Amino acid sequence: MHDTMSDFENVTPDLWMANEVIWKDRLLKLPNWYQIPLINSNASHNLPDSTLVRFRGMIQDMHNPEFYFEQFEVYNIITKETKRKTGKFRDTAHILENEKINYTENLKSAQRQTMVVVSLPGLNEWAQQLEDRKNHLKHLEQQPNTSKRLSNSTKLKRSYDEADEDSDAMEVVDNETVTSKEPKTIESVNNTTNVVSREHLLNFPLPDVPSKSCIVKIYDDSDNLKLNDMIEVVGFLSVDPSLSGEFQNQKNPLLEPDIENEVETITHNPPPSLVPRLHAVYVKKLEHCNPLVNNFDQGTVLKEANMAREHLLKALTELLLGDGLAAEYLICHLIACVYLRQDALTLGQFCLNLSNVPMKKYPKYAQQLYDVIKQFVTKSYYLPLTIDNMNTLTLLPKKDYECNRLTSGVLQLSKNTHLVIDETRMEQGRLDAAGVGNVTALANMITTQKVEYDFKYYKMEFDSDISVFILSEGKSLLPSDYHLPLRPEESSLEIFDAIVEAATYYLKEEIMNVIRSYLTNIKLVKYTISEDLQFVEEDFIEMRSKSDSENPVTADDLHRLLVLARLVSLSRGFDTLNKECWDITKKMEAERLQRLKNRIASTL
Amino acid sequence: MAKMRDYTADKESFKNFFIDFCQTDDEGHKNFKYAEQLTKVAHREQTAFVVELDDLHETNDELAEAVRQNTRRYTNMVSDVVYEMLPDYKHREVAAKDALDVYIEHRIMLEARNHRIPGEMRDPRNRYPPELIRRFEVYFKDLSTSKSVPIREVKAEHIGKLVTVRGIVTRCTDVKPLLVVATYSCSACGTETYQPVKALQFTPPPACTADECRLNKTAGQLHLQTRGSRFQKFQELKIQEHSDQVPVGHIPRQLSVYCRGETTRRAQPGDHVAVTGVFLPLLNAGFRQIVQGLLSDTYLEAHGVTCLNQSDESEMAEALTEEELSELADEDLYSRMARSLAPEIYGHEDVKKALLLLLVGGVDKHPNGMKIRGNINICLMGDPGVAKSQLLNYIDRLAPRSQYTTGRGSSGVGLTAAVMKDPFTGEMMLEGGALVLADQGVCCIDEFDKMADNDRTAIHEVMEQQTISIAKAGIMTCLNARVSILAAANPAYGRYNPKRTLEQNIQLPAALLSRFDLLWLIQDKPNREKDLELAKHIAYVHQHSSQPPSEVRALPMRLVRRYVALTKRKQPVVPTALADYIVSSYVELRREARNARDVTFTSARNLLAILRLSTALARLRLSDVVEKEDVAEAIRLVDMSKQSLQHVEENVQRGISATDRIFAIVRDLAGPNKTVKVADVIERCVDKGFKPDQVDACIEEYENLNVWQVNQVRTKITFM
Repeated sequence: MHDTMSDFENVTPDLWMANEVIWKDRLLKLPNWYQIPLINSNASHNLPDSTLVRFRGMIQDMHNPEFYFEQFEVYNIITKETKRKTGKFRDTAHILENEKINYTENLKSAQRQTMVVVSLPGLNEWAQQLEDRKNHLKHLEQQPNTSKRLSNSTKLKRSYDEADEDSDAMEVVDNETVTSKEPKTIESVNNTTNVVSREHLLNFPLPDVPSKSCIVKIYDDSDNLKLNDMIEVVGFLSVDPSLSGEFQNQKNPLLEPDIENEVETITHNPPPSLVPRLHAVYVKKLEHCNPLVNNFDQGTVLKEANMAREHLLKALTELLLGDGLAAEYLICHLIACVYLRQDALTLGQFCLNLSNVPMKKYPKYAQQLYDVIKQFVTKSYYLPLTIDNMNTLTLLPKKDYECNRLTSGVLQLSKNTHLVIDETRMEQGRLDAAGVGNVTALANMITTQKVEYDFKYYKMEFDSDISVFILSEGKSLLPSDYHLPLRPEESSLEIFDAIVEAATYYLKEEIMNVIRSYLTNIKLVKYTISEDLQFVEEDFIEMRSKSDSENPVTADDLHRLLVLARLVSLSRGFDTLNKECWDITKKMEAERLQRLKNRIASTL
Repeated sequence: MAKMRDYTADKESFKNFFIDFCQTDDEGHKNFKYAEQLTKVAHREQTAFVVELDDLHETNDELAEAVRQNTRRYTNMVSDVVYEMLPDYKHREVAAKDALDVYIEHRIMLEARNHRIPGEMRDPRNRYPPELIRRFEVYFKDLSTSKSVPIREVKAEHIGKLVTVRGIVTRCTDVKPLLVVATYSCSACGTETYQPVKALQFTPPPACTADECRLNKTAGQLHLQTRGSRFQKFQELKIQEHSDQVPVGHIPRQLSVYCRGETTRRAQPGDHVAVTGVFLPLLNAGFRQIVQGLLSDTYLEAHGVTCLNQSDESEMAEALTEEELSELADEDLYSRMARSLAPEIYGHEDVKKALLLLLVGGVDKHPNGMKIRGNINICLMGDPGVAKSQLLNYIDRLAPRSQYTTGRGSSGVGLTAAVMKDPFTGEMMLEGGALVLADQGVCCIDEFDKMADNDRTAIHEVMEQQTISIAKAGIMTCLNARVSILAAANPAYGRYNPKRTLEQNIQLPAALLSRFDLLWLIQDKPNREKDLELAKHIAYVHQHSSQPPSEVRALPMRLVRRYVALTKRKQPVVPTALADYIVSSYVELRREARNARDVTFTSARNLLAILRLSTALARLRLSDVVEKEDVAEAIRLVDMSKQSLQHVEENVQRGISATDRIFAIVRDLAGPNKTVKVADVIERCVDKGFKPDQVDACIEEYENLNVWQVNQVRTKITFM
């Protein structure tokens, strides 16, 4: 075991290529990949160039494919030797000063796909910590990487470095490649004008969240990888500092027309210390990113579901001020995901709008509730819906033709991310054009689970699977699938702060972990509906016959009921719909509609 | 490279091809296309020498294929061939056009004089690089049969080949001069050195290499002579895939296109273009070579850039394939296509049929300079939440040219046109609004009722005259807005109130309502059978995560779009034989309108509506003649749309009761001959939306009143 591991630590692109099939096979047979350094948890500056590493993230952008030299010849002027080399799994030609590439003969080109992968947006702290605990490799930090530091590294001044506090991460020097590099190129750098912010280069969807990103080069067929997919990449690290676009030579504008403009070059070639390159040998699509869920077994998950549900229900009922119905709906919301997409029909989204939030008494109620929710789910984001936020935030990703990349927006999230919108923060004010666009985008996303990306000349819709939870005082200005006014109990209302404290006490790490794996596992369960749905049909007809112009019952209502019934069944550990759960569902909906009808004025 | 092509033979065949190729035009004149081009090129009247591969294919298909596979080489070869042939086509002296012409002429003369050594037979032009002297450019035009390659599919195997791609221009640089041949003069010996530049960058030679300098070891400095160098126009375009070429979940890809000489300045950002060119790798030089020596950028060397109109975009132009035709060769294409509109919305078949006809559109007519629109306008009304907006949205996505707007969100200016001041020139100019932009298409207006009154007036003109007149800021003009309007309106008081008239309910003036060919009131009423069907349908979707298979599979949107485009080519006419039928139907409609307490307005516009709908139906059949069935269906649709409004009345049981109305129908049916078959009565009544038991009740009631008698077997009614 340890033996194979050390092999992976020492494998180089050349070794890998010599025996690609065997290596890949061995990689897939590894019980876990913890020993292969995960850049998310281990700083890339502790790793030498061309080591095998891992990165986990979301595909944020796809660049044009690159043509690289799969095989080429190098001619040594002094020894008059020719050598065959390959450009696979690397960015720089490892050539010596007196070697020359033969560009005319025996050159084989191949194509590789470049993708920008950012660390999972909205990944919650607990998940990150668990991940770190599992994947952190201590020995890397102890490696005396400074000893091989290049003498001329001091000359590598980057404009943004000086301002940056995290100087450690910036002093990236790698060991092998540098020796073969001509120092001249570095000296001739002229980088006075090109100041590009770190945020610009990282291009992370969510503002004010620390993130990492990687440029991943994929050699195998990448057609099944889609934008916003969660992936785990195993590949060779490439952190040659000369890859940075800021070291571009000055061009003679008369004789050399611009192929890429400067901003584009810099954006596409960020300093590798900040954005390492990864040459993928294997790409795995991730269904979830919960570090607690490793082996999924439907039987056990269903068996243990009820227990976890009890814990969760207890905690949420308390936090929702004694409102059991709201807690039930919130559980359903937490385990919902889109499960069918056909033409314009999308099933499974569960946008919950909880109104009548006691904001007069607890102005920070929404925030406090979110603080608990984020302890449960793997990925979430809290978005206060304020006039200012709507007017200034970029929600929709937009193609920037100047830099030739997709500039990310808040709504570029991977699937199963929970977006908590706090509408209690909304005040009267004026939305400008951007604000109106943002609100429309949110509304569209909620109703269709599609996000329209702006490509300037046309717009393109991308499927999303983001669960939205809206907390508001009255009915939200955004549409929602299930709107429920909260009915707080007087007694709980008085002692909310104590409840929060008690809840934190009650939710010990073990219970937390049970709930956390429950929420992820349930989403993976395969759910079926038996053929016999007589009771559903009968009920629908009865509902229809009772419907009048005041309370219309439409096809949408049946869809809504069936979606809810699915979640009610799943949450209780049934993978099929039975009469019992259907009745519970009906009761829940009836109660909800009843509440909506005699919506009482806010008691507070 | 097992079999090398015989390039000398190819060269010869090109020569012959240029000399011999001729096309005979309609009048029998022989047209030597290439010989003419050569003459023009020789006289410097034309710069581009375009070889159409279609022509070459006709004479030598194998060579044409070879050209497509190795275009760069053949470009050079044809360039050589043309250059050799040019003197033969030069009939007169050409006046020098620019400084370079003078320069070249001068050099050729000088060279001829200097080397007049007997015995040395050399062509004076040989010493100069051919690029310097040739003032023409060779371009190939791709075969018209070859399909365009999606940008995504342009891969390594296309390198060196001629490909045609389509896309949208996202960026284009200024047109800049690009050095083709650099001319240097030596400071020591005065000799001129020429350096052809093939790439985008070049390194000037370090020292003079002329014999004189070399022997004397003076190593004279070389100076670039801008006047003696040849430059070419150069522009770089970036094109991006069309949205429909991008697979779901992927980012559109881009491709660089290098345009030189005559292919520059053909497109601007935002244009849809088709580019034919050679796909080539670009080697990095200088710094990039060291750093990223293992990468090569690629580009498309343009041979032709054409802008495409939005209307004749690829998918419209391409004919339907066999498969698609077989899929369309359905018995009941009409209902199938109707059902394929917004398949996720269950039911509402007649509404969907009407929307399909709106997409197809009727035929425009221009009798004696009068203009009668063919576009069909439809207004959908109904309580909130009956999928009106979804239908509108779907049509907006389906129609090739469409604009979607909401009544509340658009002012009159936003709909028609605005006069803007150009920030640079200060000139006034018109900017089209939604109705102008949707010319020849569909304008979907949601929340029609919420529109301000003065904005709505702008639509009056559009809906009948199909133009927009503008008199603003000194600009008086009339813009075309040949647009079908699809409006959706909510009832004024939140719900449709059956006690009020249509105008009151929608709060739209009758003048505007009458301009709609069809008005639908979409209502959602409980009905046991339909509800069960709906419940089954939805349950199935949830069970199997797909639409039930028993139903007719919806046609893909793309196919519907193309078929609709196809139908628009037909211009069906109404045969005179049908005129009587149409007239009598119209008279019937008018009569009914007078009799019944009609909520709608029946006018001559209804007659036009029937004609429009029937021509649209004929178009849908791809027929050139309107048939009686078309008219019948059109009348049925008009009738159904009226009924959708009248149903409401029946619900409140006010005014004439169902029994009374059935009696009226029976009386009409019986006419003067006093007897009528019960089967006929039932049929007619069911058509009008009554239930058979209602009919029975009516028959019994009037029998008891002794208004009529029913025979023993209850098949015939006789009036007393």
